[in-house]
Amino acid sequence: MSGAVCALDVRSVSKSYGATVALQDVSLELRAGEVHALLGENGAGKSTLVKVLSGVVKPNVGTMRIGGEPYEPHSIVDARRRAVATAFQELSLVPNLTVAQNLSLPQQAKGRLGLVSGAATQKRGAAILNRFGLPLSSSALVADLTLAERQRLEITRAFACDPKVLILDEPTAALAETDWLFGLVRQATAAGAAVLYISHRLAEVRELCQRATVLRNGRSIGTVGLQEVTDHNIFEMMVGRSQAEEMRRRATAGASTRAAVLEAEALVGGSLKNVSLKLREGEILGVAGLEGQGQRALFRALVGLAPLNSGSVKVDGAPVRLSGPDVALKTGRGIAFLPEERKTEGIFPALATATNIVLPVVGRIGRAGLVSERLERDAAAGSSSKVDLSSRYLDFRIGDLSGGNQQKALLARAMQTGARILLLYDPTRGVDVGTKQSIYAAIRSFAESGGAVLLYSSELPELVHLVDRCLVVYGGRILAEASGADINERTLVAALTGHAAHETAA
Amino acid sequence: MSANLNAARVTAPGSNLAVVMRRVLTDGAGVVAILYVVLFALYALWDRSALTASGVTNLSNNAAPLALAAAGESLVVISKGFDLSVSGVVSLSNVLMATYPLEGPGGALVSLMICLAVGGAIGVINGVLVAILRLQSIAATLGTMIMGQGLALVIMDAPGGTVADWVSYTLTDVIFGVIPISGLIVLAVIALWLVFRRTDTCIGLFAVGADETAASLSGISVARARVTAFVGAGLLYGLAGFMLSAQTATGNPTAGTPFLMLTFAAVALGGVSLTGGRGSLVGAVIGAATLMLLQKVLFSGGVSSFYTGIFQGVVMVLAIIFGSLILRLASTGARA
Repeated sequence: MSGAVCALDVRSVSKSYGATVALQDVSLELRAGEVHALLGENGAGKSTLVKVLSGVVKPNVGTMRIGGEPYEPHSIVDARRRAVATAFQELSLVPNLTVAQNLSLPQQAKGRLGLVSGAATQKRGAAILNRFGLPLSSSALVADLTLAERQRLEITRAFACDPKVLILDEPTAALAETDWLFGLVRQATAAGAAVLYISHRLAEVRELCQRATVLRNGRSIGTVGLQEVTDHNIFEMMVGRSQAEEMRRRATAGASTRAAVLEAEALVGGSLKNVSLKLREGEILGVAGLEGQGQRALFRALVGLAPLNSGSVKVDGAPVRLSGPDVALKTGRGIAFLPEERKTEGIFPALATATNIVLPVVGRIGRAGLVSERLERDAAAGSSSKVDLSSRYLDFRIGDLSGGNQQKALLARAMQTGARILLLYDPTRGVDVGTKQSIYAAIRSFAESGGAVLLYSSELPELVHLVDRCLVVYGGRILAEASGADINERTLVAALTGHAAHETAA
Repeated sequence: MSANLNAARVTAPGSNLAVVMRRVLTDGAGVVAILYVVLFALYALWDRSALTASGVTNLSNNAAPLALAAAGESLVVISKGFDLSVSGVVSLSNVLMATYPLEGPGGALVSLMICLAVGGAIGVINGVLVAILRLQSIAATLGTMIMGQGLALVIMDAPGGTVADWVSYTLTDVIFGVIPISGLIVLAVIALWLVFRRTDTCIGLFAVGADETAASLSGISVARARVTAFVGAGLLYGLAGFMLSAQTATGNPTAGTPFLMLTFAAVALGGVSLTGGRGSLVGAVIGAATLMLLQKVLFSGGVSSFYTGIFQGVVMVLAIIFGSLILRLASTGARA
């Protein structure tokens, strides 16, 4: 125990839903003042463990102790009373309430007669925002915030409880920079809090955490000091086999002579100030940018989801007017878009995975206008194998799948459309290493077969290893373009923060 | 990294009026209130008696039962549910009032308690079925609606009976010569709503309506919010049945049937989002009042009553289109 105070002690916790075992014999020990990583593939049981620790679900067996006292939370509020706070991966903010109201859930600030006081709640919210350095208006509706702003708010709300045990579940999934969060985490641990940190980004984990506990198939495999193990060791613990397959760069020779399939010229509108780009056949073109630099608007404009004030788009050399994703899909060789927020913009949770995959082409697979489950399944099987999605998932409701498998299914849907131009917006956000490899492989083989991919990623290493050329967006403009050996993290980071010399290539 | 922090939104000073205007119009109640004023002006133009005390009383007595029922429905709709039991409760209260008339103010009070108890009890059943047993609200309340209507038919198998005179005279009367009592009762409900709005329970209601998972992860008790909505709704349906009995002075086992569709029309017209999380009880009340006023306007404008339904439907659809247009404008304004 090395003499450190144990803040939270989890012993042999198990949880099953019916016949499905989500957690089995999980043990974990958080010390006061440490940042402890929880690692594991999607579906390894991390989310369930988070729910158990924060009082959302009760474990079937096992004990938990805080500072030696038994800890059996029966609700979120109860957990908070014991100074355990959680920033959830799925973001637990209520969209129709203001920032301040969300910060004061479930109990708003009261004025006279014990009634809720809007002004006092507002003031309390503003004080919290100020304390944690969040430049938001406390009276703004959460629905009007960007995903990154919501994520920061979610994190702030957890910190605002002054927890002794803080659980951060994928806190950087929507954040392009981590300094703000890491600063807060270090402050909290310096004050003696214990932090359980869940992230798929190993670089982050290494930067912030001292020890890590690995979950696999619902069991805790072991706790390691991060200084003592290599990434390779960790992957091995997570997936139980050697995931040594190095990400390799594709041969890109001759790519620049291929025909441009998607061209954008001087796009202006929304947060886009002036963006031009040229995507060629067989090419993976990367887009890098800090959060909110116009990348989202760019992708949405290219499928007609965001209006443009000026600029032109050409597909296969012919000028087109894209008024929506349905039109984009039918234009030229077809443009398919994989949106950022799979929970709200992507999946239909109540429908089967197969149905979700074939949805855009459902009219094509029917016989005499009628679609059967078998026809859907057969059609979906082809594209699901391309993304390495096991066909046994096809009959399940997609809402019951893990995040990684949902993402594979959405990629399969984009491919199912037959479109030869894919716009992928952060396709590996919040998915585990195993799934990432499958997604990379699918993207590569799509490009090798002559498809064109425009790829935004919030993770630079991903762009570095995957793309042929990389554009850097900053303030609604393309600030820099890198290709070949110039695509490395150092150049990109410099460009991302707007410091690049004007070395923009043609 | 400071780039994105600087880019974040900061409150613009001096935009308070715009914020207030936006709240009024997007609240839903604003649009329908304007519509009501326009219709009332038309009505007063065609029928001079509209502005007399008896004209106003008539309007108020006419609208009160539907307004109270719609007020109840809005609670459930805001928490993202549907409550069909309204017609069961109204029918049941009405036949009880006509079968067991209790004279005098004391009798009226007991009758009111009975109506509230009936509505509250059905509300509790709905709440348990939906919030705890997790049945779909349409299915559960369809069951309690049919049950209520069936029970009403058992108590009274054909229209008839008489409501206590004290109830049918006093509650349709005015005090101080001009103020209709039915209107005061509706105002009292609105006052209660304004107090309720400033409770954690009501904020929970809106939160549950918008995103149940997020609400529960934020520490709100979803089950408690839902049960509160159904019980509050049931009580208001009971009150609606009580006021309907005062107005019709007789019993009818199917008295509640027209309420089913009209409450939803009033709620939608009043800007309460049927997908939950947005709207206000006041909007639903004005929505109900507008539907009833529209009938009068058409009548005084010489339109055959056969056409009333067509006009009500068209006005409702137009008002909803207008309301959502304003909402869209307001939200793009906020994002820009």
